[in-house]
Amino acid sequence: MIENNVYVSGSQADNFPATSDSLRVDVTLLDTLMNLAGELVLSRNQLLQGIGSPDMKTIEFSGQRIDMITSELQDAIMKTRMQPVSRLFDKLSPVVSDLGQHYGKTVELITDGKEVELDKTIIETIFVPLKRLVETCIESGIEIPDKRKQSGKKANGRLVLRALHDTSQVNIELSDDGCGKQFQTTPEDVTAGIERLGGTIDIKSKKGAGTDIQIKLPLSQSIIPSQITSVEGEQFAIPQTNLSELIRIPAAEVKDKIEKVGNADVVRLRGELLPLLNLPDILGIEKTYTDASGIVHPDRRDNLADRRSKKHSADGRPLSMKPDAAKELTPRDPADRRNHHSKAVNIAVVFAGDYKYGLVIDQLHDSEEIVVKPLGRHLKKYKAYSGATIMGDGNVALILDILHLAQMAGLSTMAESNQWVKKEQETIDSTSEKESLIIFKNLDTEYFSAPFHSIERIERITSSDIEQVGNRKVIQYRGGTLPLFELSQILNVAPLPEKEQREVIVFNVNGNEFGLMVTPPIDALEISLALDETTLKQKGVTGSMVINNHTTLMLDVAEMAGQFLNEEV
Amino acid sequence: MNTRQREATISDLEFSTFYLGEALFGISLLDIQEINKQSDITRVPQASDDIKGILNLRGRIVTMIDLGKKLGLDSLQKTKENRNIIVDSGGEYIGLMVDAISNVVTAKKTDLEPAPANISGVRGTCFVGVLKTETDLIGILNIDEILKENEAQNSAAA
Repeated sequence: MIENNVYVSGSQADNFPATSDSLRVDVTLLDTLMNLAGELVLSRNQLLQGIGSPDMKTIEFSGQRIDMITSELQDAIMKTRMQPVSRLFDKLSPVVSDLGQHYGKTVELITDGKEVELDKTIIETIFVPLKRLVETCIESGIEIPDKRKQSGKKANGRLVLRALHDTSQVNIELSDDGCGKQFQTTPEDVTAGIERLGGTIDIKSKKGAGTDIQIKLPLSQSIIPSQITSVEGEQFAIPQTNLSELIRIPAAEVKDKIEKVGNADVVRLRGELLPLLNLPDILGIEKTYTDASGIVHPDRRDNLADRRSKKHSADGRPLSMKPDAAKELTPRDPADRRNHHSKAVNIAVVFAGDYKYGLVIDQLHDSEEIVVKPLGRHLKKYKAYSGATIMGDGNVALILDILHLAQMAGLSTMAESNQWVKKEQETIDSTSEKESLIIFKNLDTEYFSAPFHSIERIERITSSDIEQVGNRKVIQYRGGTLPLFELSQILNVAPLPEKEQREVIVFNVNGNEFGLMVTPPIDALEISLALDETTLKQKGVTGSMVINNHTTLMLDVAEMAGQFLNEEV
Repeated sequence: MNTRQREATISDLEFSTFYLGEALFGISLLDIQEINKQSDITRVPQASDDIKGILNLRGRIVTMIDLGKKLGLDSLQKTKENRNIIVDSGGEYIGLMVDAISNVVTAKKTDLEPAPANISGVRGTCFVGVLKTETDLIGILNIDEILKENEAQNSAAA
């Protein structure tokens, strides 16, 4: 049902006026609560009896009953807090007409879905951000009547406010038919307010045709799905609404995937550089590590990607790349392996507002529906936490405020960091031309690259599928036979160790396909080539270049193909 | 209304007394919700030194404060005698951690003497008064004042 409300005047409130302490509740709902309370008492009595008797069945039975009653009770109590959004919409109507008058614009407010219900707290908290959006739409979205007529619109501006149910959440939509230019970015305080409620906001503008804003809110604020994690023995909850994905970087890949840019750790995730935050650093928790004998020590290392490899001198250039380089790959003294990359790194990729970053955590636990409890007044000023929750074992876990953590760490927003990356690329661009490369490894520290255009695809094969024909390795592939090689056949590098699965880069040189077995990660990269064509030049290698702090040999694919395939003839 | 409260409203005041280090202090029984020795406190990284963390008190999150530290005395010495005094301050339960609990002392309102500017190194404004017993001098704490003072600091820091 669509109602037309054209209000003449009203008062403007800055806050939701009735953050009242009383609430109207349907009597039938109260009766349900009474019933459930009665049931709960009965089941408790049963349980107490059961505890006194040797019969386990009674305890089991009453346990199940209490479980059921608790869920129903929780549902019913939540319902008492639900209120129609008409409370919210009615408060916004006068704002619309007042502001319209103030700016000399006639604005018609159309509301829909007033009967949709939301938790009392959410209705009261969402008022301020929503009002701010409405104000911006009227102030700089909707044009003055004359201008509207010029662009062929009706003189009266239209503002539509709509609420609708969407599975476990409520959507609030706000749209206008104005110029569509009022939101270059989403106001920070609006985003923060909505995210604090566990909601999200999405603004779409069409130039000249208006703006559509969609706000998604949870039905109730008190219970939110969260990922439980722990850092230095303390448990922390990360709201699912802030969580994008969980990634685990195996110990062997930490050195490659986690890099240092300036003073910060970053992780390369699908070509995107993601800043990493360490809770101990931001919150001042003492970092520890456990040595071989199980004793916990303070850890003074300040970054994850601390490189201890002897192969790199201070400026990150390799000291040697001689044939015996492989010898240096022998494991270091285990006692020396206390640095972070001796263990896998767990990262929760989180986002809030314009921030996206990786939060380094020690352990991942379950994903749980948690009941949010506010912190006491002495702790309100610590913005890193949005509240606390009581875990199944009775212990308390703090709930992390992802937005404020980013601000505390002084992270730049995505827009800012993209700019930074662009700038960095531009400076490279200006010096020489850019080329698409694929980067991979032979053994752990032997980096190679090849021009992207010479590659057909990348496959993962099972080693047991490899057939030996004469002194050649082949695999059945797409109805044909693909010869397989590895770099040790033509270059002075170590042969690949036995592995169950193999990554194979399929090259195509003048119609001849062959597969090169390599060690992942295999990354694609755009870079300006600045090859050193003398130092490490050899047959099959065009030259070398330092990419991401690693000396990388550039393969001459044609020469390599000749070596591999001629040999075959 | 129980006996204790009735008596208190007529003429007597009752105080729960406790030790912070060697010094004896008291809090009005009417301010106290309960006294326990729960020790499963979750620390809150970043919080100031006097805040020991948060505690689950039957579903309520209670901020735990090291009362000695809060008053500018020595911080809590971990012993088996340690107790948490849960007080109701402005509708919120707050836990005050003390070194050890002593007796409940009854006194007439007239027994309470105004606090000097400084008792055992604690500012006079933190007290409602001083109670002299045959053996001890007990500083009776003004809980709301002590916990409110913190709020003022909060807003200054925010």
